[in-house]
Amino acid sequence: MTDEELMLAVCIGEKSAYQTLVKQHLKPISHYAYHMLGSQKDTEDITQEVFLKLWINASSWKKEEAKLTTWLHRITHNICIDYLRKQKRVQTQNTFSEESVDAITGKQNDGDNENQLSLLQKAISNLPESQRSALTLCHYQGFSNKEAAVIMNISVKALESVISRAKRTLRSQLTASKEAPARKPEQEQESK
Amino acid sequence: MTLGEFTKIINLYGTEPSCWPSELYAQCQTFLATNSEAEALLQQQKQVDELMEQLTVPDFPGLEHRVLNQALPARDSIFLDRLLSWLIPDNNIGKQIWRPACAACMPLFIGILLGNFFSFGIGIEDDSFPYWDDELVMLSLSDYTESTF
Repeated sequence: MTDEELMLAVCIGEKSAYQTLVKQHLKPISHYAYHMLGSQKDTEDITQEVFLKLWINASSWKKEEAKLTTWLHRITHNICIDYLRKQKRVQTQNTFSEESVDAITGKQNDGDNENQLSLLQKAISNLPESQRSALTLCHYQGFSNKEAAVIMNISVKALESVISRAKRTLRSQLTASKEAPARKPEQEQESK
Repeated sequence: MTLGEFTKIINLYGTEPSCWPSELYAQCQTFLATNSEAEALLQQQKQVDELMEQLTVPDFPGLEHRVLNQALPARDSIFLDRLLSWLIPDNNIGKQIWRPACAACMPLFIGILLGNFFSFGIGIEDDSFPYWDDELVMLSLSDYTESTF
């Protein structure tokens, strides 16, 4: 069944169609929410709310306006932004650094790489919401700039600007962290 | 090409040269070969991309079950569905008979009501129907042969 057929079925209250849609879209939606929120518990709550909205507002989806996945990501984006604003963001950053860095600690990663990953995760979590969202949508969720702009309700030019700023920030933070340990021995030698 | 322009291309199209705009591809390659800062920038972004690929999202055990089993509000059925479920109820045999019968009679009642109130431009006094009485007699299909003779 196509997305359109499934959504029509959801409109008339068919729960089997709803279940199919949940199975199809649960992973990308939960991953996007996780990248935005950084907390496993919040991600689960938000994902549940997204699919509840899908059930309630199924009739408002217009096939010709956006793909279903774009529409669902837009709902997720709006809920996440609302949530983050309510939580005052600082709280979210804390959960980010505790939980998601734990999740990253790769079994196959050596110490240096693990350190770099941890730094990157912190750098991403410190990005403003719009930059984090744009980066996630384009890098992890595989959306085009145009689709990501629709999800975030901004122009393509604005999205490109946001992505550029995000990448510049990540590059500079990682480069700074690499240069910092390299400078230490040099400074020690100079002091001697 | 300037470093700023090259940075913009890297930010928008990524580090993979095949993704760069075809009209700027040659310029980018030349700039990359001659400018060490551009080469360093490309390497930095490649490292960031590689690290980003390594960031994982944890599993959410039980999330699917939770979402599938959440209480969904009852849906307000659309008018046609409500009409059909009223016309053909699932359980009551009595209602299954009289409701469709009522529905079938509705056009008849509507026709009587409309015919009672509207003449649709046809009147006995209308000059365009001089033999209106005759036409009614003819339509009644009665046999008047005996009365004539």
